[in-house]
Amino acid sequence: MAGEDRVGRSTRLERFAWLADTRLLTLALASTLIVVVAGLVQVSFGAYSMSLAEAWRAVFDPTVWTNPGVVAELLLGDGLAATLGLSSAGIELSRETLIVWNIRLPRVLVGAFVGMNLAVSGAIFQAVTRNELASPFILGVSSGAGLAILLTLVVFSGLSTLLPVIASVGGALAFLLVYAIAWKGGTSPVRLVLAGVIVGTVCNSLQTGIFFFADDIGVVQNAIAWTTGSLTGTDWRQVRMVLPWTVVAMGLALVSSRQLNVLLLGERTASALGMSVEKVRFALSGVAVLAAAASIAVAGIVGFVGLIVPHVVRNVVGSDYKRLVVGCLFAGPALLVAADVGARLALSPVQLPVGIVTGLVGGPYFLYLMRKTEQLGEI
Amino acid sequence: MVKHVNTNLNTRLGTAVSKRTTPTADATGGSGAGATFAGEDLVIGYSKDDPVIDGESLVVPPGEVTALVGPNGSGKSTLLKGLADQLALDGGSVVLDGREIHQLGAKELARKLGLLSQENVSPGSISVEELVYHGRYPHRGFFDSVGEEDECAVRDAISLAGVDHLHEREVSSLSGGQKQLVWIAMVLAQDTDVLLLDEPTTFLDMHHQLEVMEIVRTLREDREITVVLVLHDIEQAARYADHVVALKGGEIQARGAPEEVVTEELLAAVFGIDAEVELTDRGPRVTPIRACHHDP
Repeated sequence: MAGEDRVGRSTRLERFAWLADTRLLTLALASTLIVVVAGLVQVSFGAYSMSLAEAWRAVFDPTVWTNPGVVAELLLGDGLAATLGLSSAGIELSRETLIVWNIRLPRVLVGAFVGMNLAVSGAIFQAVTRNELASPFILGVSSGAGLAILLTLVVFSGLSTLLPVIASVGGALAFLLVYAIAWKGGTSPVRLVLAGVIVGTVCNSLQTGIFFFADDIGVVQNAIAWTTGSLTGTDWRQVRMVLPWTVVAMGLALVSSRQLNVLLLGERTASALGMSVEKVRFALSGVAVLAAAASIAVAGIVGFVGLIVPHVVRNVVGSDYKRLVVGCLFAGPALLVAADVGARLALSPVQLPVGIVTGLVGGPYFLYLMRKTEQLGEI
Repeated sequence: MVKHVNTNLNTRLGTAVSKRTTPTADATGGSGAGATFAGEDLVIGYSKDDPVIDGESLVVPPGEVTALVGPNGSGKSTLLKGLADQLALDGGSVVLDGREIHQLGAKELARKLGLLSQENVSPGSISVEELVYHGRYPHRGFFDSVGEEDECAVRDAISLAGVDHLHEREVSSLSGGQKQLVWIAMVLAQDTDVLLLDEPTTFLDMHHQLEVMEIVRTLREDREITVVLVLHDIEQAARYADHVVALKGGEIQARGAPEEVVTEELLAAVFGIDAEVELTDRGPRVTPIRACHHDP
């Protein structure tokens, strides 16, 4: 083997050698397995039940895979697919394939994207605030989005078709407000977190206040579904909505991993190394908010995923953000897709918001980690 | 307030005298004879109304070792942070190789000037080698991968700091002294002409103190790097530095060659101690006797 001579330019050839880390590979494989199994369960069971084998066949139905028109219409939407000259006209799909592809599969995909976004967003915020209890929602994003949701549902109900966008924008605005409050010739992790608490408290009070003006139990349930996070009723529209932002945010997170690592050395060291700490911190927070907002637009405010997944991954692969971000890309979907199985099927036909299940699963697991390890995921 | 304190002691002793020479004149630049580095009329502090350093000037001799000494709260670290552009100047300017440092981009400055802060925290699990590679940050663009130059610099820094045997260990598993050597390796990997070290030997055992000072000596002798360091141990300063600058209350009280600065009078005036100073071939030896209780 040529890798034997450790001297010389071995590290250059090993640019991606860190990916071949056994712990990271194991984590990625295990997570993928969870997603696949949970996904199969998800597409098999429901109002129209089929066996796992039937579900498997439906997922890999050659009629779908050999006709680019079908996939294009689902992924790009009818309009865009038509302009590209791709169409599914004249293609007959079996009943199982229709159910799996139109109704059940998109929910699994949205769940995977939401989990990915939340996990990576949480990981970034934990580095930016140097606080291991940080989540995607620490800088006001959830409370801003929650307030926007309540305002839309209760006060400006005419705008409810725009709810996903309004929720994300509300979250992003709250984040900017937090930054503005924290800014005093620069910021610091502590100032940011405190400003997040201020904005969060005010927004949450307003949000709770608005609940009193809702006169319809349906509106209240809808509001709760949005503010605890739910995948009920997601279809390809949501996939199309979340996919581009996910690609952008995850791409940016992956290329910024070195910046995150240097930021972890502390502001003084990072600055002495020539990093423009304020700019980098704001840009990284922006990436994390983008990821969080994308997930809010399709699933509402799913709690706990963004807090716990980075911890789990850090416990397995260590605190190097190159590995951590990649690990989160796999572990986030695993937790969310698995939790959604419970949310959808546990009390069937009643569907719970997935946020309730992530809390129920995540809480005890967090407890287990706390008891097991001396220093829980120290950053 | 006293504005210019470059009075009696300085001019009388001054090797590193700060006259009104603009360093631009003899800016040789590059690594040849070390970089020229000077601060002029510096006003540095944490609030504008009450600056810690109020109008001091300092010319650092290129390619040599300058030690800042002084009692706690004398403004040594503040001066160092100001020189490194880590604290905004409220007045005056710092010139490196003929250019004002705050006009340089952050990365450009970090390629010329390295700073090791007093206390450093490393993240949970990071290997020695990974940490040292962070020293290459200013040399790498956003998308750049590790190049041959980076590898050379890192190898060189690791061997110069004498941490070869540790390079695969996790930083968090090392002793305080070993950690400090690793952090020094990181700033060495930055490959700068000027290196500022803030109390690099404080809290270290004697072995590691000597290790650190040996590295400083090597930098001076083999690399012609301009080193400015804050030291608590005045004997150490006298032994390893070419120039000693003594501060008290934010004012430079004396500057010059060790044997000229480290005197019984200065120890009484600046540090408030009665001490015996004996000249040996390893520099002045200081034997502290008692603290002076009167306000000098």
